[in-house]
Amino acid sequence: MTSHAYNFGFLDEYAKKEVRRAILKAIAIPGYQVPYASREMPMGRGFGTGGLQLTLALIGPDEIVKVIDQGSDDSVNAVNLRQFIEMTCPGVSTTTCTAECTLLQTRHRIPELPLTAEQIIVLQVPYPDPLVVVESSENKRKTMHGEADYSRLLVKLYEDIVKYDEITISHRYPTRINGHYVIDPSPIPRWDVAKLNNSAALLLFGAGREKKIYAVPPHTRAEPLVFSDVPFRVEDFRDEAGQRRVCARCGCANSFLDEFVGDAGNKTYQCSDSDWCDEQLQRAEQVQGVAA
Amino acid sequence: MNDLMQPLPGLDVWHPATQQAVFRRLLDCYSHPGRVEACGDTDRAPLTALLATLLDAETSLADPHHLIKAGDWPKLEVRSGTAEHAAFVVANGTLAADFTPRLGTLESPEQSATLLLLVNSLVNPLGNEQARSGGQCLNLKLSGPGIPGTLKLAVSGLHPGWLSARADWVAVFPLGVDLILCDSRGFTALPRTTHIELEVC
Ligand SMILES: [Zn+2]
Repeated sequence: MTSHAYNFGFLDEYAKKEVRRAILKAIAIPGYQVPYASREMPMGRGFGTGGLQLTLALIGPDEIVKVIDQGSDDSVNAVNLRQFIEMTCPGVSTTTCTAECTLLQTRHRIPELPLTAEQIIVLQVPYPDPLVVVESSENKRKTMHGEADYSRLLVKLYEDIVKYDEITISHRYPTRINGHYVIDPSPIPRWDVAKLNNSAALLLFGAGREKKIYAVPPHTRAEPLVFSDVPFRVEDFRDEAGQRRVCARCGCANSFLDEFVGDAGNKTYQCSDSDWCDEQLQRAEQVQGVAA
Repeated sequence: MNDLMQPLPGLDVWHPATQQAVFRRLLDCYSHPGRVEACGDTDRAPLTALLATLLDAETSLADPHHLIKAGDWPKLEVRSGTAEHAAFVVANGTLAADFTPRLGTLESPEQSATLLLLVNSLVNPLGNEQARSGGQCLNLKLSGPGIPGTLKLAVSGLHPGWLSARADWVAVFPLGVDLILCDSRGFTALPRTTHIELEVC
């Protein structure tokens, strides 16, 4: 293996094999956090090194890669990661178009456009274990996960309901995979949790600091932890009058919106998924063009 | 020069670029259990391509039926282990299962074995198509994660003992083993979560 002069994907071939073996275990044991030997990367942990290691272990010369951060291709984090991939993976092409990519690395969002069986999504994870909030010992957490014992996590969620009348977790909503393991789906909004369920695309999660990899395979059940009397609800984008807010840029009325506060204190809303927003805008302009 | 001494025309299985391509096919098999992926473009058999892709000195391999050429062991760089303890076990699928691989633990289910079984033929049958002749044919109806509805897989040259043993091994999730089946043209995967119904054909 070492006799070949080969320089693609930054990681050495041993590191790639380690990550690849962990990926296969993660798919075979859906939702289980597979430990792996995370290598040092030329950027601080917390900058998506776990996701990047997955990407570099997966990537081939024909890959079309998209990198987003909070839904945007243009944020500093996404640009840095994309440039690193371009620099270390000669031949690979990058895109901002969700429909075009074969490999999507993301932090905090899953695109609005449903992904396909030909695509893989890599999510960057800061805190992989949803049981940390109720149990500090990793050994005990591993036993609880193995037994699918989430009673203490459910109690914690229930306390939330008693206090606030609804589940207040806005991100990282604990989600049960294939009826056994509960995962931290990374800091995606509740809006995106439904996209984990019965997804056509493989979803891989990488936590570089905690050295864990986990997966939601395609066509697999992913259910947010709920109580029968308190249904799971996604973010509500209705205004005071009960009208669904629309994106100020493209007019979309069924996307996840970011709130912006103007100089005068006025609030405006815009799609968080920038490619989605561009696509809707283009479509709207085409319709207008035809009408004119 | 004797032409027989030349490797098969095709991609060098010891090259990292080939291993990346083979890994992505295997990843597709894990993501879509029972789907047969072709691997006819490498210079060695699919089984060897998989071993070259998966193994290195960090892991262990058992070869109870002596399927691996002596000259390949140093290239694989892998530690040799017993079928009961190795992380990967290569076996002849036509022979009955006569060992219990490691199944992992409740806390660390990833410390379970991956079995690579060499069989005669693998086909996803369309209609009434069946596996090519060569040993007993098993029609498997698969369901579970990665499979919308059900998927059919026809395997010839797999001793049915593997399936009954596997049913015991995967009975208590998350413990279990993951199977990779290889023939001379490609491979497929049956992770522990795949439910297998047997139909004799
Ligand atoms: Zn928009």
